[in-house]
Amino acid sequence: MIWLTWRQHRQQALAAAIGLGLVAGFFLVTHPGIANTFNSTGLASCLGTPGRDCGQIADQFDRQYRGLQFLVPLFLVVPLLVGLFWGAPLVARELEQGTHRLVWTQSVTRRRWFSTKLALIACAVVVGAAVFAELVTWWSGIFVRLHDARFTPGIFDIRGIVPVAYALFALALGVLVGTLVRRTLPAMAATLGGFIAVRVLVTLFARPHYVAAKTASTPVVLAKLGGIMVGNDSFAGGWIIKQVTVDRLGNVLSGGQGLDFASLSGRCPGVIPPPPTEPSPAQLAACLDRLGVHTLTTYQPATRFWAFQGIEFAIYAVLALVMFGAAAWVVRRRLA
Amino acid sequence: MTTPAIETTVLTKRYGRTWALRDCSLAVPAGRIAALVGPNGAGKTTLLHLAVGLLDPTSGSVRTLGASPRERADILARVGFVAQDAPLYAGFTVRDTLELGRHLNPTWDEDFAIERMRRHDIDLRQRAGTLSGGQRAQVALTLAVAKRPEVRVLDEPLASLDPLARREFLASLMEATAESDLTVLLSSHLVTDMERICDYLIVLSQSRVQVLGEVDTLLATHRVLTGRRKDRAEVAGAEVISASHTERQSTLFVRSTTSIPDPVWTAHEVSLEDLVLEYLAQPAASMLPGPAADGPRDSMEVRA
Repeated sequence: MIWLTWRQHRQQALAAAIGLGLVAGFFLVTHPGIANTFNSTGLASCLGTPGRDCGQIADQFDRQYRGLQFLVPLFLVVPLLVGLFWGAPLVARELEQGTHRLVWTQSVTRRRWFSTKLALIACAVVVGAAVFAELVTWWSGIFVRLHDARFTPGIFDIRGIVPVAYALFALALGVLVGTLVRRTLPAMAATLGGFIAVRVLVTLFARPHYVAAKTASTPVVLAKLGGIMVGNDSFAGGWIIKQVTVDRLGNVLSGGQGLDFASLSGRCPGVIPPPPTEPSPAQLAACLDRLGVHTLTTYQPATRFWAFQGIEFAIYAVLALVMFGAAAWVVRRRLA
Repeated sequence: MTTPAIETTVLTKRYGRTWALRDCSLAVPAGRIAALVGPNGAGKTTLLHLAVGLLDPTSGSVRTLGASPRERADILARVGFVAQDAPLYAGFTVRDTLELGRHLNPTWDEDFAIERMRRHDIDLRQRAGTLSGGQRAQVALTLAVAKRPEVRVLDEPLASLDPLARREFLASLMEATAESDLTVLLSSHLVTDMERICDYLIVLSQSRVQVLGEVDTLLATHRVLTGRRKDRAEVAGAEVISASHTERQSTLFVRSTTSIPDPVWTAHEVSLEDLVLEYLAQPAASMLPGPAADGPRDSMEVRA
């Protein structure tokens, strides 16, 4: 069975190895330049010093590497490829071409055929995905640090250990759908839809609640012309799920951190001059103080990053195991 | 009495509302070359797939070499199967295909397989997808035979072959069979070819077994009678299966265990093909007894 698995999937393995090699090569070529710029522009030391405003250097750095940063979300697609090109055809292609009648009538039970094949391919997927995730984590480190984006949906998903679980899940989904649909192309289409649906649903509706989110109330710290910024940096590296700006009574003044003048005018008579006269920063501060304006932030602190990685990994790993089991059952009991 | 190579008991397979096989009870005695014939859609492939464990019965049972073949590696090792259209992995070379056989079967005769490919002039480096229909069938048969099975089950092995290749295939099958005491069950809708090599016959029609038995016995007990026209087709000591009449003459197809004494009729021997076609033309007719009394039964007898 080991020989057969290798013989049947060596081309796919080769293609995956080449793809992985190309990505690794690209990372190795581009990373030194990024790291060099990061250090030579003083951005690294700036970010390392608490309290310094690195906005300007950061913007410049961002502009220079915008093209590369656009690549980052593409890595979300890689686990899906495993499901499409390894998972979906695994059983469906045999059924489509009638070769299951050949291989299931040798001296090997279907149980052994399926479990050996799946175990070997799953191992290859785990190794490949782990290497890939490690490469992406390393390469994207600077960008992620710059934006404090470690927890941001889309970035969280391509780093750490979760890509391995996604790849296993995609494989299992592809295999199961292939055994049910019995044809390769429709199975690939269904795998595509199913994978995206599950990933979106889990990210939107389950992930924010893995651990009860914290809520923080922060006062206004900064007032800028044309609007007021409130809030602070205590969420650095954390995942901000929801943010509203409210007054002392809990009336929502705006969704988010910003606040425009229109919502204030008329609420601080005597403190703020009526439009179109612009209030001075001192007048604004007095008004905000009087109304008790503060920002309520629902967030997952940065320290929970690995807990979330672990929970998300477990969810997809369990889903994958359940689907492997279901596919094995269908292969043994339901297919001809 | 030895265990029949394949034995089914009121075996039934249904897909939704469609009966693929219905109350099929039969036994293929060990050491025979059995032909499974019937029109397309009669259930031949279903029966063969049940016999090699590719399908699960809806009800009833199938026992191959005395056990249910489903998920039994030891039984699978003793059964060689060539599916219809001889599926092979198109991307595999012939050598890869034989490697597959070597890796997946504990009893694999590599020398035999290589020798057989050489004899049929099949290049081991050629991809299976580029083989001709005849070569493909030979490779598939080699794969099924080199595992040294006791029972070979072949689904329409002749369908894709031209007449010459067909004759060669049958000759190679015969020769491979002659070597040892093994059982062959092959399906075909080409009865003529079956007559040459088979000594046991199963006719499936409309998902049911219609005829079953030793070819010699079947031929000895069926006659075509011709005589002056008689509207009431009855013959003493014989069962009339079909009758046709011209203006002056009646032709009857009958089954009888004795010779026909009635001088009105002239008896003719029948060919296996005639026999099969006469039965298939009369789906209601069956040579199978009704519900039989319990008792010792030989491998030919059938429980309905």
